[in-house]
Amino acid sequence: MSPFPHFRLLPLAFLCIFSVRVYADTEDDFRWRKEVRPIIRNHCSSCHNLSEKKGGINLDDTDFAVGVTSRGELYQNVVRQVQAGTMPPMGKPRMSHEEVEQMVAGINRLLDKALSEPDPGDAILRRMSHREYRHAILDMVGVDFDAKAFFPSDASGGEGFDNQSRVLFFTPLLIERYYEAADSILRAARRQETLWRKIVPESYQPGIGEQISLWWNLQVLKKDDDMKKPVAAAEKVLIPFATIAYRRFLSQEETDQLLSFFREMYAARWQNQDGFDQAITETLKTVLISPNFLYRSETNLSLTKPYLISNFELATRLSFLLWSSVPDSQLLDVAYRENLHDPEIIRREGLRMMADPRFMRFAEAFSGQWLGVEQAMTEPKTDTKKFPEFDDALRSAMYQEVVQYFYHVFYRSRNLLDLIDSDYTFLNETLARHYGIEGVAGDEMRAVLLSDKSRGGVLGMGAVLTASSLPTRTSPVLRGKWVLEQMLGTPPPPPPPDVPELEDAKKSVKNELDLRELLSLHRAPSTCAGCHQKMAPIGLGLENFDAIGRWREKYGETPIDASGVLVTGQQFEGPAALKEILCEDREKFARNISRKLLSYALGRGVGFTDSPTINQMTESLTQNNFDSQELMLTLITSYPFHYKRSDMPERYNNDQ
Amino acid sequence: MEKSWHISRRRMLKGMGACIALPLLEAMIPPGFSSFSGANQPPQRMACMYMANGVNPYKWTPEGWGSNFTLSPILQPLKNVKHQLNILGELYNRNSDTRQEGHFTKTANFLTSMRITKTVDSGLDCGGISVDQLVANKVGKETMFPSLQYGVDRIDTGICKSTGFTRLYGSSISWASRNQPCAKEIDPRLAFDRIFRNYIPGKPPVPFDPNKKSVLDLVQSDAQKLNRQLGVSDRNKLSEYMESIRSVEKRLEDRQNLKDFEARITPDVREELARMDTRIDEWAEYSEGVDITPKVRLLLDIMVLAFQCDATRVTTFMFGNSANNRNFSFLEGVFDTHHSISHHKDDPKNLDQYERINRWHMEQYAYMLEKMQDICEGEGTLLDNSMVMIGSGLRDGNRHSCHNLPIVVAGKGGGKLKTGQNLQFAKDTPFANLHQTMMKVMGVDDVQFADSTGDLCEILA
Repeated sequence: MSPFPHFRLLPLAFLCIFSVRVYADTEDDFRWRKEVRPIIRNHCSSCHNLSEKKGGINLDDTDFAVGVTSRGELYQNVVRQVQAGTMPPMGKPRMSHEEVEQMVAGINRLLDKALSEPDPGDAILRRMSHREYRHAILDMVGVDFDAKAFFPSDASGGEGFDNQSRVLFFTPLLIERYYEAADSILRAARRQETLWRKIVPESYQPGIGEQISLWWNLQVLKKDDDMKKPVAAAEKVLIPFATIAYRRFLSQEETDQLLSFFREMYAARWQNQDGFDQAITETLKTVLISPNFLYRSETNLSLTKPYLISNFELATRLSFLLWSSVPDSQLLDVAYRENLHDPEIIRREGLRMMADPRFMRFAEAFSGQWLGVEQAMTEPKTDTKKFPEFDDALRSAMYQEVVQYFYHVFYRSRNLLDLIDSDYTFLNETLARHYGIEGVAGDEMRAVLLSDKSRGGVLGMGAVLTASSLPTRTSPVLRGKWVLEQMLGTPPPPPPPDVPELEDAKKSVKNELDLRELLSLHRAPSTCAGCHQKMAPIGLGLENFDAIGRWREKYGETPIDASGVLVTGQQFEGPAALKEILCEDREKFARNISRKLLSYALGRGVGFTDSPTINQMTESLTQNNFDSQELMLTLITSYPFHYKRSDMPERYNNDQ
Repeated sequence: MEKSWHISRRRMLKGMGACIALPLLEAMIPPGFSSFSGANQPPQRMACMYMANGVNPYKWTPEGWGSNFTLSPILQPLKNVKHQLNILGELYNRNSDTRQEGHFTKTANFLTSMRITKTVDSGLDCGGISVDQLVANKVGKETMFPSLQYGVDRIDTGICKSTGFTRLYGSSISWASRNQPCAKEIDPRLAFDRIFRNYIPGKPPVPFDPNKKSVLDLVQSDAQKLNRQLGVSDRNKLSEYMESIRSVEKRLEDRQNLKDFEARITPDVREELARMDTRIDEWAEYSEGVDITPKVRLLLDIMVLAFQCDATRVTTFMFGNSANNRNFSFLEGVFDTHHSISHHKDDPKNLDQYERINRWHMEQYAYMLEKMQDICEGEGTLLDNSMVMIGSGLRDGNRHSCHNLPIVVAGKGGGKLKTGQNLQFAKDTPFANLHQTMMKVMGVDDVQFADSTGDLCEILA
């Protein structure tokens, strides 16, 4: 027996709460309190304590080692800040070199220990997003159904995507809509002979003998168990369809259930000319609202160690990542005949799928949500009275520019740094005219080489510039925040809820003329300065772009001053120079894109236990010239993409 | 063009004159039968409406206390229903008083009054069930829909990285449980058809689907089989599916609720349904999207109709999501967006625009209340039998303070509420006391709600 029974219970408690596998022991705690804790008390706690919580961070509450690893991501950040010398901040006593070493080593020792056993994180039952539903229906039935307009809207979670399991809910309203959707989708398919024949190649028609037999059995004997021929014909239709829909083989029980449902439906309709198709339609409806179709589930095993998910489950993860849809029969075939967990095989399939036009769906889903342009473009807030040019044609071209550009970067140029800066983009006549670029005629989007260094990369795109503006004007603060948050993944902390009044700032921004002056006031008081010094200069550097992304040299008569000094001290002049500076921050950019992509692939937020995978992905980028394809392959061969851990907390933890 | 259509529609609605027609129809009901099941008393209805971004604090509170008060500039549009109002001062939502951020926690907990967990997804928790859902669980059995949720905007996508909250928190005030927000409807066409599709004159009803029950049974059994292979968190998720199926099945099976509902679809209501149907078509065709007034009114009309026909007794409505930055330049004298203006910095120009936006909200609220007041029901009006709360999760957009929230409750709640008062409670009276009181009016008085310390006796009759 341990002399300190409460220390033995504590990790168990944290296991339940934080799902982080750590084994704190008394030695860890002892060393933590003796070696690291006093340094934190000395240098950090005066601001980062429970009552002040500067920047929303409290470092004063961790008395045990397990508290460090349960908030691993925070302490990773602490290490980064202390090593970079940004904390303690200017004006506070500096840490001695020894103190830094001791603190960093102490924290890292605990963090490394916690990461020594890989953890795939949780993978929870995921309802399809509306986007995925739409694509899956298109692939399975051939009907393009506007799911987003018909279903109640979904939220985002994790790194900001709509495919995150914990924020995908089910409500009575939704099941009603799924029911109606299945109905109208199948009716639409039946109206088009070519579509329907892909699902039902041949409609069963009973011959005279069969008709007599059906009549005898159903009308006279009142039993429907002898319908071998129609049921056999239905099986050929239903089972392949359901196999793709459920992304796996059906169990015998499931097969029997579907066929018996069909039998019931057919018995009531066999006399109709299209009785077979009617009964098939009704049965397919059950497939389209079955939880086996609507949810992506992965079998839970009662194992104490993480385990490989099944081949079919992996195929599903892969196809929803790359195609936002169900696997095709080829992928399911590979999953059945070969070992998809084999890196060679999954790489081969990944490459095949990226070469498929359906990979464009990934480009659209990922870019639109990452950059936040999807909502800005589909539900625009821009004031069209002030900006009458911002019409549907322009909006759609702006959105297409982002999607096509991403597709190009991910599939053709294969250099993700193009997102920050490049010398090309995708335009049609409308958008080219908007940008003041000549020589592009027609509605079709096409690649255009840019002579102007200001435009290339996402920061010169109309959609991004509009999404990071207010409806009536630009906001350098918002744009700066956008760059820090979306591009570099280093968001500024939130403004304090109760922003003190700026005595001198008692004027509103009617136009952009006094913007720079006003912003300088923002940066003056010390509570605001820390963050605004980071945001505003970036945004001011983009002031040559107006609120809908047009180039401008002046506000009215006053020339625009697009120069700035970043918080790092770097000086720049205009968007082109700003982008060059951002390119230097490529490590942050790489880490950010890795986080986003991992979250998108796994359908959950990423945290401390994912840092080995994030590091691996970041390295893949920085060592391969930001090759997008290598990044994807690193992701689909990564540990959390193949593994799952058991989710049986009570029993499982007590066994340990 | 747009303008004249507005007027004619208003006139048309006023002209509907339900007060003249309805008593006649009620007279047609044979003695001993009520259009309400079971009881002779019309049921109580409850609606909770949410405004984003607070109000101009200098133009909200009326002058004079008790029944002797003058409506403030913002509340001016409510003059025709002044005798039906309770304006409540000094209510405080303690559990939204966090220093973490200004908006999300003050939206998600508007009807839960509990503390919100900061998260972008895992551990999503708004602290408890919302008061409307608590009531719906109790009174919802009597109607086709236990409750209905409406709003103007889709859920805001993305997460707020700086504050560390998913924007979902800012997009939902109704919570079926502490972890599950209710889906709200924002499309007038879909919302209208969901309830009234089969009763619109001139439109063929959707044919009865004899297989619906067996289809639902089948997928429910799929869910049960699936459930056996899942982990604990998976099962929690799947239970939402199973609950939803059960709820729809219950609606299919419960013929009595449908019968009661259909009994309320009188010829007059049918005429109104036909008008609504046309209006929705017109709206879909002509609406330009900036001015949301027509859309808001359609949704409010649907809510009133749902109450009138007893399709439900509990609804919520969101005028906008948290920190809504809608462009309100369709209003005269407004040039900027809602959230930006709400950070007014005490600038008179901002304050003026802020007030205009607030007043617009009150105009829509008044539109709904007047409409309810025009509908006779039993001895009184629909408004007499209802309780319609409106408010914001913060007092003043410039300060994000959840002290002295701007709250109005209208309607007599079936005679259970005193009305026509401007009340100032003791400083920092829990907002949850209002929730507790509303529960009491709706007949749910066996639970203590959130941080409530009792009822707001002053408004109870």
